[in-house]
Amino acid sequence: MNAGLSRRAVLLGGAGLLLAACGGAGVLDSPDLSAAGFGTKATGTVQLWVRAATQALSAPIVTKFNNTHHDLNVVMTAIPDTQYVTKLATAIRGRNVPDVVDVDDINSTLLAYHDALTDITDLVKPLPYLDKLSPGHLNLATLGGRIYALPYAADVSVLHFNKTLFTKAGLDPAKPPASLAEVVAAARAITKLGDGIKGISFGGNNPGIMGFIGLPSVWASKDYLFRGEPGNQTANVADNRALRTFLQAYQTMWAEGLATTSSRTESGATWGKDFLTGKIGIWPGNEGALVGGGLTKEFATEVGVVPLPGAVSGTCVFDGGDNIAIPRGARNASGAWEYIQFALQTEQQSLLPEAGYTPIRSDVATAVFRAKYPRTAVAVDALPTGYAEKTIAYNTAVNQTSGPFFTMWTRAVFDGDVDGAFAAAQTGFTRALGQAQT
Amino acid sequence: MIHTDLPPVQAAVTPPPAKRRRGTLTHPSRTGMLLVAPAFLFTLALVVFPLGFAVYISLTNWPLIGRVKFIGFDNYRAIGQDTTFWHATLYTLIYTAIVTVPIFLLGYGMAVLVRSNRRGSVFFRTAVFLPYVIGLSTLSFITLLEVQPGTGAVNTVLKFLGLTDGQTAWLVDTIPATAVICVLVIWAASGLTMMLLMAGMQAIPQEVYESADLDGAGWWAKELRVTLPLLRRTIALTLILSVIGSFLAFNQFYILTQGGPGTSTTTVVMWIYERAFVELHLGAATTLSIILVVVVGIISAIQFFALRQED
Amino acid sequence: MATHTLGRTMRPAQHPRRTGTIFYWTAGILVSIIFLVPLLWAVIRSLQPAASITAAPSWNNFTDFTGSNYSDLFSGQIHLWRYIGNSLIVSIGTGVLVAVLSALAGYGFAKFRFAGSGLVFGLIILTLMVPFQAVLTPLFLELNALHLTDSRIGLILFYTTFNLPFGVFVMRNSFASLPPELEESAFIDGCGPIKTLLLVLRPLILPGVATTILFSFLASWTEFLGALTFLTDTNLFTLPVALLNIQSGTYGNLNYGYLVAGSVIAMVPCVILYVALQRFYIGGLSSGAVKG
Repeated sequence: MNAGLSRRAVLLGGAGLLLAACGGAGVLDSPDLSAAGFGTKATGTVQLWVRAATQALSAPIVTKFNNTHHDLNVVMTAIPDTQYVTKLATAIRGRNVPDVVDVDDINSTLLAYHDALTDITDLVKPLPYLDKLSPGHLNLATLGGRIYALPYAADVSVLHFNKTLFTKAGLDPAKPPASLAEVVAAARAITKLGDGIKGISFGGNNPGIMGFIGLPSVWASKDYLFRGEPGNQTANVADNRALRTFLQAYQTMWAEGLATTSSRTESGATWGKDFLTGKIGIWPGNEGALVGGGLTKEFATEVGVVPLPGAVSGTCVFDGGDNIAIPRGARNASGAWEYIQFALQTEQQSLLPEAGYTPIRSDVATAVFRAKYPRTAVAVDALPTGYAEKTIAYNTAVNQTSGPFFTMWTRAVFDGDVDGAFAAAQTGFTRALGQAQT
Repeated sequence: MIHTDLPPVQAAVTPPPAKRRRGTLTHPSRTGMLLVAPAFLFTLALVVFPLGFAVYISLTNWPLIGRVKFIGFDNYRAIGQDTTFWHATLYTLIYTAIVTVPIFLLGYGMAVLVRSNRRGSVFFRTAVFLPYVIGLSTLSFITLLEVQPGTGAVNTVLKFLGLTDGQTAWLVDTIPATAVICVLVIWAASGLTMMLLMAGMQAIPQEVYESADLDGAGWWAKELRVTLPLLRRTIALTLILSVIGSFLAFNQFYILTQGGPGTSTTTVVMWIYERAFVELHLGAATTLSIILVVVVGIISAIQFFALRQED
Repeated sequence: MATHTLGRTMRPAQHPRRTGTIFYWTAGILVSIIFLVPLLWAVIRSLQPAASITAAPSWNNFTDFTGSNYSDLFSGQIHLWRYIGNSLIVSIGTGVLVAVLSALAGYGFAKFRFAGSGLVFGLIILTLMVPFQAVLTPLFLELNALHLTDSRIGLILFYTTFNLPFGVFVMRNSFASLPPELEESAFIDGCGPIKTLLLVLRPLILPGVATTILFSFLASWTEFLGALTFLTDTNLFTLPVALLNIQSGTYGNLNYGYLVAGSVIAMVPCVILYVALQRFYIGGLSSGAVKG
């Protein structure tokens, strides 16, 4: 009996210890950033987490870094995007975080808001190229005037058009559409060519894509969806004229058959491949999908690129891509900062177009660069006007299939009920914000 | 069953023979304890302990990232307002109701077909069971490809038969998407039902049929008055498996519809997953999980007691 | 053993009438077509280049078969061998561990009497009703505290636990169906319980063991959510997780050729194992699971 009791006691005690170990802390301490030689003479290993989706951009930079730094070794781990925040969160609870994280820039706001990232303001301020960095990306990583991450690689949305089809349809390739109304008109003219040619193609079954290529048209007139500081925001949907214009334009194109039928079902898997066949007039998208889809040299000469036109006027691009940060609790913060500085140098940034990404420094776009990567140069030049919503609710409100943005989008465009969709959206966005901000 | 990758046998159909608690000379009770100890410890460490931990999490606000706060029963009180959860529950119940009967009938029919060890029966039963063996995730990926409008085989065949124009976008509307998933699941899961029922039918002693033959019973009479009653337990087992499997469906919905359009094809487990890993409300999500465990427990308990009374 | 059981209780041979025979073959062939054709179709698809898989169907290029989907998966950037290896290690490890633990526990539950036996058995079986998704996060935190995340051993332990109820259930019933005389004569010859298990009872419980191994192998081979949660290091990914990662780019650009070829590769071990064990498996099912 005694033996039984003590066994039980051991079991319970073990469980208690384990529970304590599991519980972990929600927030770790910031590493010391002021030590002598910080970020210059680091040794040992740097654990770098990258997004699986964008790992192609980091691999060459890491290889180059390790070849030139013999006392410091960067070990790269790719994390599937859907698991990224979860993994980092559990790593924090397990007190075993990586030293550098390359995160979806939208998530950098969320992570900074929840005290997961180190305040690196004092390291960033003295950087000589601070004013050359993409302001939109930096904005996403800035909370209450403090900076928690730096831009790392940009993935911006632009308007691609087929110059040959423009000419055939009697449009001037030198004067691409400057508003959504002009996009609709151009799509109409191109669809009239017949023979399976369509005016436009879009990834209408992927909320992320539609936010990426749709919302910049709304932002061009500064009609943002969220008002206020992250964590304390309200939704600006019901009175958002630009948002309505955007929905109306796509609804018209869908209803008139100016878009490919697959625009309704395209969930990203083959996004942009139809544009590469030369049968699509306009394709709002990104460089990555073109490069990944097998863009040929010959076809590249037919592709025109401009920033996305605003709903009525102006232009804007979506500041997508990655920010890079040092999580709180990082063991080798010095090595982490050394890697970050290295990755932001112009030599490394100029490697990004090879993987389909845009450098985040405006001074990368030299004459040589422009000649070599003309489409990416358009994206680099658009960065000062780029934007992305700074909110902790972007994933739930926009990126999620079940979220209010996508519900509004499908109902307005494919079901043709713009008024109803619009009326319901304010409530949906408010609810999503409420969920994120509790 | 197949829907959740759980192993296929459920329910302690008979309680173990544990009336006499003392060991015997040849079977000392200490040896018995030692034999079951490893399995017991695994279950304690990796099921009971995390479950207890889950109960604790459900009493906190536990955001995926950030500081944890104890909030008592707030999460439980908030379930009433979680309309998506109730919608998902209703949808999952409807889905379960739709697939259960066809899976059973098909499985039964095919079990009748392959239960005799005639030539070819091994081949037939292997063919039917293969989709279950391969697993629903893999099959969902292939389905995703073949229901694409204009290019998928499903649409091509329907167009060839003159039934559609081959452009049906199956996965973007609630009813067609549900139909696709139901057909997929019925096709993939009926093999397991067939296998279990067939094994049950083969275990029925030959003598029972011989005496029925003496009574002059025909095929149908024997099926209804001999096979079905003697198969009662096995049937109940397959139904429990199938119902619980459907109720916990996740993979096929995650791959094919992501719960859309909106949340109209979101199942209970999907919603829990979304609450936890997209909305980052682990406390609330874990609360829903605990409710789910209780509900599944109740379903199983009902079946369990129904069985016991019959015996 | 299996064939023996089946032989004794074979279904009534119903004076096979001609119409019956015709019906049997027609239905059997029809059913086989319905169940096999989609799988064969997937194999055909895997031999097409990605471009024709996602293009409108056309007879002109339908038979332009290529092995490039497969060769790409095994070379260069993807290294599918590594993931197949991981999956095999984890699935075989799980199968063996579940079989050993279940055989021991099944023997204990079926043949030994001790305090709490019913309770412990009930607890293990009740595990079946816990959807593991419900405890995923506590489980992650626990395994993490034990340094068992990012480890194939951790994954094996996890899969083993959630496959135990089935195994224990089958093995208990397998042992219970053995006549007590077998053991008694072994004891008279001076064998202890473990020796009896290994020498005398082992061959008789093989069908149950095969059933247990098959089901735990299949469950771990296709499992996805747990592997995704417990593994961070890409080098340790199992096949289903690796297949999901074939997608690239921010919006999930996907090479359907790779996906279908990968799916076909994932089918192969399941089919081989099933066909290899099928002789035992049915016997194990009828003596272990169905009789209860």
